Amino acid sequence: MRVLAAILTVAAALGLGGSVLAQPAYYAGKTIEVVVPFAPGGAADVGARFVAPFLEKHVAGNPRVSVRNVPGGGSMLGASFFAANAKPDGLMVLCTTSSTVFPWMFGHPSARYDLSKMRVAMTLAFGPVVYVSPRTGVRRPADLLRPAEPLVYGGIAATGSDLPVLIAFELLRLPVKVVLGFEGRGPVRLAFERGETNLDFQFTPVYLTQVVPLVRDGKAVPLFTGGAPNARGELVLRDPVVPDLPSVFEVYRELYGSRPAGPRWRAYEAAAALTFSYGLTWWVPEGTPEAALRALYESVDRIVADREFQERAKSVTGGYPLRRGDQVEAAVRKAMQPTLDVKKWIADLLRDKYNVRF
Amino acid sequence: MVDAALNALATFASPLRLGLLLVGVLAGLVVGILPGLGGIVAISLLLPLIFRLDPPTALATLTGALAVVYTADVITSVLVGTPGSPAAAPTAMEGHALARQGQAARALAAAFLSSVAGGLLGVVGLTLSIPVARPLVMLLGSPELFSFTVLGLAYAGSLLGRSPLRGLLSGLLGLLLGLVGPAPAAAEFRYTFGQLYLLDGLSLEVLALGVFGVAEVVSLLARGGAIARQAGLGGGWWDGVRDVLTHRWLVVRGALIGVWAGILPAIGATAASWMAYGHAVATSRDRDRFGRGDVRGIVAPESANNAATAGDLIPTLLFSVPGGPAAAVILGALYAYGVYPGPRLIQDHLDLVYVIVWSFSLANILGAAVCFALSPAVARLTHIPFAWVAPPLLVTMALGAYQTTRHAGDLLALLLLGLLGWAMKRSGWPRAPLLIGFVLAKPMERYFWLTVKLHGWSWLGHPGVLAIAALIVVPPLVAAVRRARAQSRPTPGRGVGAPATDTRPEPVAVFMAAVAVLAFGLGAGQGLGFQYDARLMPLLASVPGLFLGVVQLARVVRGEPVGPVDEEGVDDDGSPQRPRVQAELYGFGVVAAYLLGVWLVGFHVASFGFVALLLWQAGKVRPPLAVLSAAAALACFQLLAAGFDLRWPTGLLLR
Repeated sequence: MRVLAAILTVAAALGLGGSVLAQPAYYAGKTIEVVVPFAPGGAADVGARFVAPFLEKHVAGNPRVSVRNVPGGGSMLGASFFAANAKPDGLMVLCTTSSTVFPWMFGHPSARYDLSKMRVAMTLAFGPVVYVSPRTGVRRPADLLRPAEPLVYGGIAATGSDLPVLIAFELLRLPVKVVLGFEGRGPVRLAFERGETNLDFQFTPVYLTQVVPLVRDGKAVPLFTGGAPNARGELVLRDPVVPDLPSVFEVYRELYGSRPAGPRWRAYEAAAALTFSYGLTWWVPEGTPEAALRALYESVDRIVADREFQERAKSVTGGYPLRRGDQVEAAVRKAMQPTLDVKKWIADLLRDKYNVRF
Repeated sequence: MVDAALNALATFASPLRLGLLLVGVLAGLVVGILPGLGGIVAISLLLPLIFRLDPPTALATLTGALAVVYTADVITSVLVGTPGSPAAAPTAMEGHALARQGQAARALAAAFLSSVAGGLLGVVGLTLSIPVARPLVMLLGSPELFSFTVLGLAYAGSLLGRSPLRGLLSGLLGLLLGLVGPAPAAAEFRYTFGQLYLLDGLSLEVLALGVFGVAEVVSLLARGGAIARQAGLGGGWWDGVRDVLTHRWLVVRGALIGVWAGILPAIGATAASWMAYGHAVATSRDRDRFGRGDVRGIVAPESANNAATAGDLIPTLLFSVPGGPAAAVILGALYAYGVYPGPRLIQDHLDLVYVIVWSFSLANILGAAVCFALSPAVARLTHIPFAWVAPPLLVTMALGAYQTTRHAGDLLALLLLGLLGWAMKRSGWPRAPLLIGFVLAKPMERYFWLTVKLHGWSWLGHPGVLAIAALIVVPPLVAAVRRARAQSRPTPGRGVGAPATDTRPEPVAVFMAAVAVLAFGLGAGQGLGFQYDARLMPLLASVPGLFLGVVQLARVVRGEPVGPVDEEGVDDDGSPQRPRVQAELYGFGVVAAYLLGVWLVGFHVASFGFVALLLWQAGKVRPPLAVLSAAAALACFQLLAAGFDLRWPTGLLLR
């Protein structure tokens, strides 16, 4: 069955390739403007700018690609700007993280954009690694339930990239004191190194370069990753970049002897999918011509096959592959529009524990 | 290490690299000169280019741009009193006062030279700190960082001016304005009034432009004539050079403050400038000239802000934690090359570190050389009628302000903050505490809550905290003792305030006090409704502010004379006359009409009309020439915008 599907896909791709050759490429002589709703220098900006030259090289027609930062309002300003200004022609692309998705999901009044009216062009993953200080006496995930000193986690804000990790703490029922309000993941890491906190997570490139030396010096103990989605979008696999570490899914099974289920697990899956698995998402408005979408999808295949991309992606993003929008769109939508009980569970957690009012 | 340093220097032998370093320097210079555009614009402009270069070349270009912004911003600050970047606000005060006395050349020379010195000292600090910075920064937890923000605020204490009441009010108002936007420790947006524009808080660039820039333009327009009140470029270049040599230790201390401020994540170049300025005031015996053109008030902050740029790179390169927004972009560029700075950087990429060190040094020297070369020409600008300079200046300010978020709110904020700055200036409120309060409000709140939540109250006994507390408490005590001793001897009284013959209330002073009372009232009223973690700072700023504001209001309503005020209020030829309120209101109306015009009919139409009208009406230029000049100016802006990828408002009505 799967072989048949693959053959059909290849045949379709060849057919489409032929038709593309027959007519001039949609993007020939055009410029794609990538709107990044964050300030220059952040993870989202770096990701968008890293991919941009590869889009120029691999989107049929070789359009010029320019990146435009529109920061503000925790990315709501830039996303609203995109919603108000982008025409459905594929020439303006929005590049978001979960910081853009969560406010929209929970109906923040300043989120004047509708992600359900946009199409996913492509996505890129971020992978988190959770680690503790050896002072806690924690050597393996199971020790987390009985730490030698109280667990203190430093974060930025409950509604940003900390959310899946905070939900994971709930799911695993860990006794953690959460202190939010840091400026960014870098300052959180410094606070960990100083001993002000003793439980932290970092994204894989930072983990590999900043935390692994600490692990070698015996100053940090890596515990688990966020996990990776299987073909059905369930977060049950190990992170391919850090395959020695168990995923949240495995840790739950180890601690409680059963598969995680229920609203907590589904809340974790949704938040983690949006923050990690599809952490960086490129969007175009609904109604964008099929020719434009196809050109973007197909560029992903060529970028992923590009040796230079593979080489550089390893150190820049951790080496996660770029994914075609048509292959992940369903999973992104599923995560963005969770069932009511899941949504309510997250909203309750945010309201009761972190004083977030929507 | 020496090998790596020399190898890195050898990389500049390539003409491409040297050329691109120059490109970076030029971009940084242009951005520095244009008010409202900060280093981040220069760097963002270069970014598309950067991602196509090899890492050393890219870093040379970026560092080159970053290094010179705080050198070039001196030009605008001195010549037109509009800070070329927020960190140059002290220079705009002191340097511009000197320019008005015909000493533009001296002020420029002193500022450029202390900038280079600060930059080079900063680089030395950067290089020396590489082995020691890590243990040092490890000592600085949230409690120490919080204490440093309080120290920064304490420095503002020496800038309160001659009316401590108005100085305090100004600082509290700055704190309150700095709290607009997301609360760091709670999920709450404060004082946003449902406006998307305010969600991130007010931008420092727009605040500095409005409070200092717009207010200055209004005064100059009202006063008419040229900027300099005396003919000739004055004392000349050598005086400025001599000033720096005379105050060499002040330059060094300024650089130390700057490097330190750069290392600390909470405190950036703007706070560094003001802290160095406060330090210069606090350590000077004779303080009469401060605010009226004191070169010590230029050399200390100029040294500090260039050094802070180098200091910013220390946490960036050692910990992958950006020291400021521009350093964040450099970090992003490094990430994009797969270089994650940190403990391994020294072992793996020492060459890159030295490329940055050399680029920074070379750029500082190159930038200052270009500035020196340009200056005789630009200093002459102070002798042509201001009405000729004002239109392009204001157009640049509008364009610059609009780049911060590219939202029409930038224009409105510029206008309202301009009104605030003008009213403060007119009513003798010092504006320095406002800016300091603004930049320190959020970091102070952030680190206070982190401290309390992570450490309870035990942090009060930390040795670092106690040391910083001593730094805060001891100097004022020493000063008080000195003053008490000095008072036993008779001192010649200084003429503070004009003789109180006129007891009618000054309308602008009443307006200013009323605005403050209203703002603090609103701040306190809304503040009560915030959740616990978001309420403390707003109430700490607005409740005392409300009381003091009412006292101030009562004073001005009773007709307390505003008198000669601390900042540039006295005309330097000694005449107590200031432009009449009506004339200044006219100037303000011109500014307002232009900004509203930009908002309504777009940048092009409004700018063209404004430049032509102002040249014709105020500049007494014949209409055909005025129209021609306006067209030429617009063409220049078009070129500038294309080169720097700037955006402008398209206009509400012309969409």
